[in-house]
Amino acid sequence: MTSPLLEIQNLHLEFKTYDGVARVLAGVNLTMQRGDVLGLVGETGCGKSMTALSVPRLIPMPPGKITEGRILFEGEDLLEKSPHEMQRFRARRLGMIFQDPTTNLNPLFTIREQLIDAVLYQTMDAQRVPGRWKGFLPSVRQTRVLANQRAIELMGLVGIPDGDKRLSDYPHQFSGGMRQRVLIAMALAGKPDLLIADEPTTALDVTIQAQILRLITGLVDRLGVSVLLITHNLGVVAQSCQRVAVMYAGRVIEQAPVRELFKNPKHPYTRGLLHAVPTRHIERGQLSGIPGTIPNLVDPPAGCRFHPRCAHAVEACRAAVPPPYPVGAQHTAECVLFAGGS
Amino acid sequence: MSIRLYVLRRLVLIIPLLIGLTLLTFIISRVLPGDPVGLAAGPQATAEIKEALRREFGLDQPLPAQYLNYLTGVVRGDWGESLYSRRSVIADISTYFPATLELTITAIAIAAALGVPAGVISALYRNKLPDQITRVLALFFVSFPAFWLAMIFQLIFGLELGWFPVGRRFAAIETPPAAITGMYVLDSLLHLDFESMRMALSHLFVPALVLSFGSLASITRITRASMLEALDKDYVRMERAIGIPNRVIVTKYVLRNAMIATITIISLEFGWLLAGAVLVETIFDFPGMGLYAVESSLRLDFQPIMGITLIYGVVFSLINILTDVVYGILDPRIRYG
Repeated sequence: MTSPLLEIQNLHLEFKTYDGVARVLAGVNLTMQRGDVLGLVGETGCGKSMTALSVPRLIPMPPGKITEGRILFEGEDLLEKSPHEMQRFRARRLGMIFQDPTTNLNPLFTIREQLIDAVLYQTMDAQRVPGRWKGFLPSVRQTRVLANQRAIELMGLVGIPDGDKRLSDYPHQFSGGMRQRVLIAMALAGKPDLLIADEPTTALDVTIQAQILRLITGLVDRLGVSVLLITHNLGVVAQSCQRVAVMYAGRVIEQAPVRELFKNPKHPYTRGLLHAVPTRHIERGQLSGIPGTIPNLVDPPAGCRFHPRCAHAVEACRAAVPPPYPVGAQHTAECVLFAGGS
Repeated sequence: MSIRLYVLRRLVLIIPLLIGLTLLTFIISRVLPGDPVGLAAGPQATAEIKEALRREFGLDQPLPAQYLNYLTGVVRGDWGESLYSRRSVIADISTYFPATLELTITAIAIAAALGVPAGVISALYRNKLPDQITRVLALFFVSFPAFWLAMIFQLIFGLELGWFPVGRRFAAIETPPAAITGMYVLDSLLHLDFESMRMALSHLFVPALVLSFGSLASITRITRASMLEALDKDYVRMERAIGIPNRVIVTKYVLRNAMIATITIISLEFGWLLAGAVLVETIFDFPGMGLYAVESSLRLDFQPIMGITLIYGVVFSLINILTDVVYGILDPRIRYG
């Protein structure tokens, strides 16, 4: 059997803060097969983005520190790669889109400059990318002409009309949605195997959100990219993903195919989360939240981190962190309620 | 608005600024207690001699008329003459000003050439050894008075090691290059006279180095701070995430963002150096504007004072315009208008 595209095993991440050491990730397990579109959902501060940033090793260290675990990409542990190998990995295999398109483009450079660099560094060895000042050499000019053509192509791919002309513009001359399209083009310039999208639509207008989501899912089909989509919006997950992983306080507490999770949520937290989403079937006043607040990660509750807020908590919840129990076809939940099977 | 039109407008706007500046200096030099004519004429001068001097310099006329006379003179290229030496102010300034300009340009070039890389390295190695060393050195240079460092350098490099002359712009027995700009290094280069150039440079180097230290420290600190700020931006993380190598991110994408603050401090420092060159000029006996300004002020020699203020006003305005133009080149979001 070939190894999965991405496999995060028992990942522990700590952050030094003024209040003490915050255990931000406490044993995250996540597996993605080639072609998967996996949604990673959870509240603010549950560790979704930290999980996502751990893969390309973009967590600032210090203050961050990975204390345990492995991140396997096609069976190779990314945590053991040298900085140079990581740069190569990020260039060739990985694409990433972030939340806020206004701050994620460099304001002082034209889109052409930024997109051409993305193309060059994702398709060539870093040492062999020629500097722009060598433009008088015919070979260098040829390289840049080709990269420019690819940039125009990418602009078309992400649905920006009049690409050649718009490449000469600066980021502030684009709207938010257009900037996010540019960022998608930059992430996909080198045809990556895995695209990590960290809340790609959160900072956009609702009308633009749907367009960007459609663009991403469409490109995934066309380019055969696998996607890890991070969001706190369950609607986005329902619309775009095949599988979902629900995170709570630094652990993936439930994983299932999308339909299964929405129809048949098992973990009390997931159930609470789904009840908190307004739908048209709900009567007035029925919308319920989850009592309590997310735990303090410097001093988290022992055992299952959700137990102080859980209506079904028993003594065993306090004793040990529950492992993922199988509760259905490709469906697991980390809750002692399912210790004896579903 | 096009950049050309913008620069033109800014240049025109210098004129009212200079009128205000001369008016202010004029009033101040007239209100100051003390009698410049009495000082110039000497203790034995009779009332008649003083009266004659006064008439010669137009000081017997009412103040508004004096001011208007001065302005029309300035426009015609006659900036008056010194009460003391009877030399024309414009002739004096054209010998002294290039010397100071040469000194300050060299000083700011040294400060920028060392300060920017030092700031960048400091930021990249934040809180590690290279950063600590740079920060301590910057603190050292910013805290030590220039005149003290000047004397120490004279002692070490001039007397002990004998590498550099102790003072003046050129060896006394040699003839400096014929004036084109009045800046010896540039003039000797234009004449392709490399022997003179070497000599001018060896006289210029130590005073310029001493003068640069304060600015070097400020430029290092500002570059460090703005680099750290730029390195923390979201787009740096994005660039890293899509596989741009660190070297390119730092030298191309981050540096340009950090340079905006650095350019500001460089232009400010340049102005301060021009005005603050006097200490270094005194110690190195370097015949520049600083010495000229101090001597003229002590004697209440009002015509040179007015002339010096005017030329500094022009230079400061030009530096400001240049800085604003550079901003616009660095940052496309800045609109001229």
